[in-house]
Order: sequence, then C-alpha cells, then structure tokens
Amino acid sequence: MSTEKLALTTNSGARKPASAGGASTALAADLTRALGPRKVLSNLSERLNYRYDAIQFGATPLAVVLPESTEDVVAAVRAARAAGVPIVGRGAASGLSGGAAPLEPGLVISFTRMTRLSIHPERREATAQAGVVTLAVTEAAKPHGLIYPPDPASFRTSTIGGNLAENAGGPMCFKYGVSGDYVRALEFVDVDGELHRLTRDVFDLAGLLIGSEGTLGLITEATLRLIPPPKFTRTLMAHFPEVGACAEAVSRAIAAGAVPSKLEFMDRACTNAVEDYLHLGLPRDAEAVLLVDTDGEDLDTVQDELRLVEEACVASGGTVRRAATDEEGALLWRARRSVSPALGRIRPQRMNEDIVVPRSALPDVVREIRALGDASPFPVVQFGHIGDGNLHPNILFDPRREDAHAVHDLAHRIALVAIRHGGVLSGEHGIGSMKRDFMRDAVDPETLAALRGVKRALDSSGALNPGKILPAEEVMVDG
Amino acid sequence: MNNEIPVQTLGGQGEVMAHAVDACVHCGFCLPACPTYALLGDEMDSPRGRIVLMKEVLEGGLPLADAAPHLDRCLGCQACVTACPSGVPYGELITAFRGWSEPQRQRSAFDRSKRWAILKALPAPKLFSVAARVGQFAKPLAPVLPAALRGPLDLLPETVPAMQPSPKVTPARGVQRGRVAFLVGCAQQALAPNFNAATLRVLARNGIEVVIPDGQGCCGAAALHTGARDEALKLVRANLDAFHPDDFDAILSNAAGCGAGLKEYPMVLHGEPDEARAKAFAAKVMDISEYLNTLLQHGELEPPVPASRPLTVAYHDACHLAHAQGVRAAPRALLRAIPGVTVLEVPEGDLCCGSAGTYNLEQPELAGQLGARKAKNILSTTPDLIASGNIGCHTQIQSHVRRQGSPTPVLHTIEILDRAYRGEL
Repeated sequence: MSTEKLALTTNSGARKPASAGGASTALAADLTRALGPRKVLSNLSERLNYRYDAIQFGATPLAVVLPESTEDVVAAVRAARAAGVPIVGRGAASGLSGGAAPLEPGLVISFTRMTRLSIHPERREATAQAGVVTLAVTEAAKPHGLIYPPDPASFRTSTIGGNLAENAGGPMCFKYGVSGDYVRALEFVDVDGELHRLTRDVFDLAGLLIGSEGTLGLITEATLRLIPPPKFTRTLMAHFPEVGACAEAVSRAIAAGAVPSKLEFMDRACTNAVEDYLHLGLPRDAEAVLLVDTDGEDLDTVQDELRLVEEACVASGGTVRRAATDEEGALLWRARRSVSPALGRIRPQRMNEDIVVPRSALPDVVREIRALGDASPFPVVQFGHIGDGNLHPNILFDPRREDAHAVHDLAHRIALVAIRHGGVLSGEHGIGSMKRDFMRDAVDPETLAALRGVKRALDSSGALNPGKILPAEEVMVDG
Repeated sequence: MNNEIPVQTLGGQGEVMAHAVDACVHCGFCLPACPTYALLGDEMDSPRGRIVLMKEVLEGGLPLADAAPHLDRCLGCQACVTACPSGVPYGELITAFRGWSEPQRQRSAFDRSKRWAILKALPAPKLFSVAARVGQFAKPLAPVLPAALRGPLDLLPETVPAMQPSPKVTPARGVQRGRVAFLVGCAQQALAPNFNAATLRVLARNGIEVVIPDGQGCCGAAALHTGARDEALKLVRANLDAFHPDDFDAILSNAAGCGAGLKEYPMVLHGEPDEARAKAFAAKVMDISEYLNTLLQHGELEPPVPASRPLTVAYHDACHLAHAQGVRAAPRALLRAIPGVTVLEVPEGDLCCGSAGTYNLEQPELAGQLGARKAKNILSTTPDLIASGNIGCHTQIQSHVRRQGSPTPVLHTIEILDRAYRGEL
C-alpha cells in the first residue's frame, strides 16, 4: 500500500511529527534571519496546523512561512532551496484533492496574509495577491458595476492563489468558465526563487501554471478580468424520482437551446445532509434535485430559457418549483454550496472524485455510479456542476471501522467509469495525491512522459509540491 | 476528523469532545467566521486549527502548554458553529476542553489570583458592585497600572448605579396569561439594574407572573468557560435545586451569556446522574426575547405605544444569542413591533464585539481591536439607538462607542420595549 493511500486517514504513518528536530531548527533560524520572527512559524503547535487541506492530512512541515510580499516568498524559497527541503504552497487549504497537504516534511508557504487587492474599473481588471479571498474580489468590484464570476463552493474561504493552482470552477462555470479563463497576467516565483511576470501571449506559460497545483511555481499575484453582472437572474429547482432522469433533463434542456448560467445537481443523500443543516424544506424523498439559474440582459430571454429548462425537466419526469424571490434563490444556492462539508454528517471521512464526462453520457454515468455505490458497503453520494458534465461522486467512510483499501478500490472503479465514457479525472479540484494513482488509466504513457518533461523543465529538482499529480515513474526490476 | 482520543479515561466530557472532533471534516468554512482568524490570519487561531490542537493534546501528541496560547485566544463566540455545515458542536468542545485542561495548567500567581477574584466577584452581585465602585475610584490611576488591570477599569461605566433588588414575585397585570421563573443574573444587577426592572415591567404588562426562585445563583457560564469546572458544577447544581421546571411555563434569562449557559446544563452533566434533571430544566429555558416573541406571533403581545418620532435602532447580535442559542429573529421582531421603529443591520454583524465573558480581562489587546471594529461598524449605520440582549456586549459596545466620540444610547432590547410601553420612546 502506498503512503498516499495511507494518508487517506488522519492517523496515517506520515502524521506524527518528527518533533522539533535539527533540520527544523536550522531552517527556521535561516528563515527568521531572512524574514523576521513574525512571519515564521516553527513551534510544533503551529506547524501541526499546516499539514492538512479539506480532505487529507499529510506530513508536519519543518517550518511555515506567512509571507506578506512577493519578496518574502522569494526569500523563503531561497532558504528552502539552500536547506534542500521541498516547498508546498497553501491558500486557505479548502482544497479537496490533498493538493495543499505536504506528503513529506518541508517548508509550507501560506499566502493568507498576502491580501492586497485593487480594482481597475477602466480596464475591467482586478489585481489580487495570492491570499485574497475569492469572494472579496467580487465584493470590491461591485461598487464599480463589475463582478468576478468564478465562484467555487468555498468562495468565502478559498483564496485566488489556491483557485488558480487548482483552476477552480463553481456553479457559474457552465456559462462563464473557470478561474483560468479570467486570468490576464500572473506573477510567480520559480523553484530557484526567481520572480517572473507572465501574460497569455506567445507560449501560454501562465496557462501552464494555472491548474498545476503548485508543482511548477508559486503564484504570488494575478491580474483578473472582471465583467458586468447580468441584469436579470431567475432560479428554479426541480426534483426527480431517479438520478438518471435528472441527467436526461439536463441534456434535453441544453439540446433545446438553453444556456443556463448555473446547473447543479445533488442526489438524495446530499439533499438530506444539507436539509439537516439549513432546514429549507428541500424535497427529502427525491432521488435527485436540480438547481438552475438563467441570466442575461433581457428579461424575456431569461424567462424563455427558464421555460425551456422547465419543460425539459417535466418531460424527464421531474417536478419543478420556481424561486419566488431573489432571497429564495439565494437560499437554494447556499444549500448547494454547503453540500460538500455537510456530508460530514453522514461519515467522518470521504474520498472525493471530480470527474468530467461528455454530457451525452451523463445519464449512463450517474446510473452506473449509483449502481456501484449500491453494491458497495459505503454510502456513495453524487453532486456537481452537471451542466459541464462535472460530477463529484463521494465515497463516505469511517476510517476506524472501514477499510481504506476498499474505499480506494471503489474510487478507482468510479474513475474508470468516467474514463470509459470518454471523461477525465478532474474538473476543478485537481489531481493532488488523491487521484494520482488513476493518472496511468487516464493518460497514455507518451502524454504522461510529456507532462514529466514539463515538470523537469520548470522544477528539475522536484522540490515543488512533491508527490502530487504525476505518478512515480515505473522502476524496471531485473528478472 | 479521525481521532484516537482515549474516551474511556476521560468519561462523559471525553465523549462530548471526541464527538465534536469526529464531526469536523476540516473544510475551512469556519475560517471567515472566526474573529481571531480575521485579526491574525493564521491557522492556529482559527476554529479548524484549534480543533486539531485540542485533538493532539487529548491524544497526547502535543503538550498542553504549546496549544494553550491559541486556545486561550478563542472568544467562545461560536460564530463558527453557525458557519459549520458539518454540524461540529465547537462550543461544547472548547468548554469541555477548558474544564478538562484547567487543572493541568501552570499559571503565574498573579494570573491565578486574578482569575480567583473574577470568579468570586462575578457570581456575587453585592461583591461585584463593591468591586465596581472601588474600580471606579481607581479609574484615574488606570494609565499607570499594568495592562491586565487597565482592561477592566476601561470597561467600567462612568457611574455605577445603585443596586435595585428584584421582588420575589411580580404579579401579572390584568388577566394572568402565564407564569415564568426568572434568573436575575450577576454582573448586570450591579452594572445595569434597569435591565431586570424593565424585564419585570414588560412581562407583568403582558399578563405574566414572574417568580424569582430562592437559592438561585450564577448560571456558572463564566466559571465553565474559563475552565473552573468544579466551581461551575456547584453553581449548576444549585440552580437545578432552585428551579422546578414543572412549576413554570418557562425559565427566562435576559442575558444572552447566562441563557446560553443554562441551555448548556445537559452537556455539562453529560454521563452524570443529574443529566435527566438538566435536560428537563434546559427544555424550559428561553431568552426573554424568544418568550415575548411567541406572544407576538400568537397575537397576544400587548401593542407597544408608537414612538414619538421615527427611530432607527441598530440591533447588535450577541454571540450567545445568535450563535449559541440561534436567536436572531425574535429580538428584531419585538423591536419592529414598536410602531415608528426601523431596525438597522450592522455590517460584519456576525463578528464578535470582543467582550465574550472574561475575554476583556484575559486578552485585552484583541478584545480592544474587536470592540473598536464593532463600534465603527455600528456607528456606520448612524442609528438613533443601539440595542443588544447581553450585558457583556452592552458594556463593551458602550465603552467603545463613547471612545469613538458618539453619545448614541446603548440599551437592552427589553429596555426599548419598556420605554415604548411607558410612552417614553
């Protein structure tokens, strides 16, 4: 069993700290000399809290730096390189693939204090340091009549740097795209501590950094595109007696010409977990709930699109309720955003998938995953940005009572369903360490070799977020 | 979060703690709700971070002394509980943890005597009143005193009012509609006796007989939340003896902190012989605003006299009402029931004012930053009046609003209702 599988549980072998040992003390002393004591955490009680993200616990870092400027990041990277230890970047650590959880002891650079943000309405741009909370961009832009559309469920917590590292999506991504689509320019620090500023022309190196999960460089600042908000938004909720019918309704609505701004799905277990938290009166008996927004400049068009969706839902056997007010719509979206953490009410731990499949395959895929779940001893729940074909099947389990191997096997089988239907392993959460082993199924050896080539070109020593995305190279063993 | 907390050696409180740790999926949704995370921006001073620290200490992987500074900075405001989709009972965890860890803490003689003085004075209104008067006398000396002593002095109002003992029974006026027991509270008897006087008048006016049972004392919340569990248990049991839930429609408190404390009794006594009594007791506990709002919702609240002019009231959500008890709508509904009153929402309304029990005395710097931020947010709405339902918030907000040069009156929600009934609004 590989270490990353073990690391599924918080009590993995990697968990216990190596105590305040010599390496830690020496690195912390170097960092403190370079940055001053306020920005360097070296006590065990401090370091223990920088070994996890929202899905996984990893190794306790040797030291943690809380930079306040790009220069601080440069200094921290140079100190870590001099000490020969790996470097893991971290935003709010709300990620769901183990991306910010270090797999070996090293330096964690946490960007939560790099929060400078400026809005340039004349260029419809925001300049945000990596630690700016996602929601803050839209809040700062609103007085200028602009918004920043990417809205991952964790947008009150997650940071721009983390969003870009994972190329985060969100309900708005069906019509408006994902985080990477809003980046005009990036500033990043490379593995040698050199500072670079990139735009999207010639080689789209910025595009390479986006979604690279901190394995190619550390994003310190981004120039983000802003747009005017749509004038009108309408919301409806539909519920279905069967999960596949919900997926059929989505395909039908889009085929009919609707381009909803948000299209989100949650199955019965998700709806019930959220209902336990928010008490909104969601239909507890429905096997699937679909949430849909249409928006635009012209109210008639917005209403027409909503009608198209409504008809598609009814034709697929669904029951439709339109949100009577904006407040009701906002509450329904709050329900959707709470799904992921609310699943903790069912089991303390989960393996989280992030597959994307062609929309035409959706009904078959959700039914096959439902069947795999029903045949397994674990609760398997599904939700996601169904308009994009982006599904989050989650295997819920209790690591004290249930077998982590069996969880991993089931996750693998679910990933294979997606791949068999022409899908991919990650829509927005990244591969991290959680889905690293499935990369060999999803990517052919030649392409994997090309990815490794890119990694070597930008991080030849492999010091940046080691153990993420790329599976270890096969070692040939003599006969 | 998977844990190896040795529940078998920790008993009922161990179960409470292990359950809370289990429920956390470390998603980070609590981070933006946490006042200390907002101020300090590091993981150790966030709810998620503190849960990990408590887990490590309970499992034996981290010395208590290393975790303590971060745990001590927690206000116990429970904003994270409201924000948590996974349902982590963080308030129960930190309370139980403080009770478990306090006997193992090594504190300086100065700290020990300060805590001893606070825990002796708070539950004894007469002693507290004397202390407050002495403090008032000492106020001019504040600039030369150490910070630990300056904090409490800064909070004392300009004048300490005379004590007003409450009658044992306040009869209903007109037709009697109900009968309630009332917890008179400790510090507020000394600092704001009008809170209780107004409460009794408003209840009587609504046909409610109010009984103040003999033998009642401090709710125990201050002792419990500072880790003095033995002290707290004595107070809890005294109240269980004094109040007989079957005799009353409800057991009322007009201080959010005390009300939340009373509702915690079943958790405090989890796994102990008195647990059933505590459950029966807590089932009857209501905040004064909750109780009056049920009358309002049934069309039974005596209509208040309209305000003499249109008035705006900035309502401050006390953490122990909004987060710990989930009471948000009731006080707003009562204020709106007064013709002419408009209720204003405060920016960053969910962020604690920094008062939080003894926090002002133990973490004066952070408490001061939060107090100033709260006052600025409230004053940004330019209200005619400021309302809250908790003596701690009241004192803190009044002090910081004055410091920012505003004379805006700070009142208990019930005082405003009382003024309306008396035609004085």
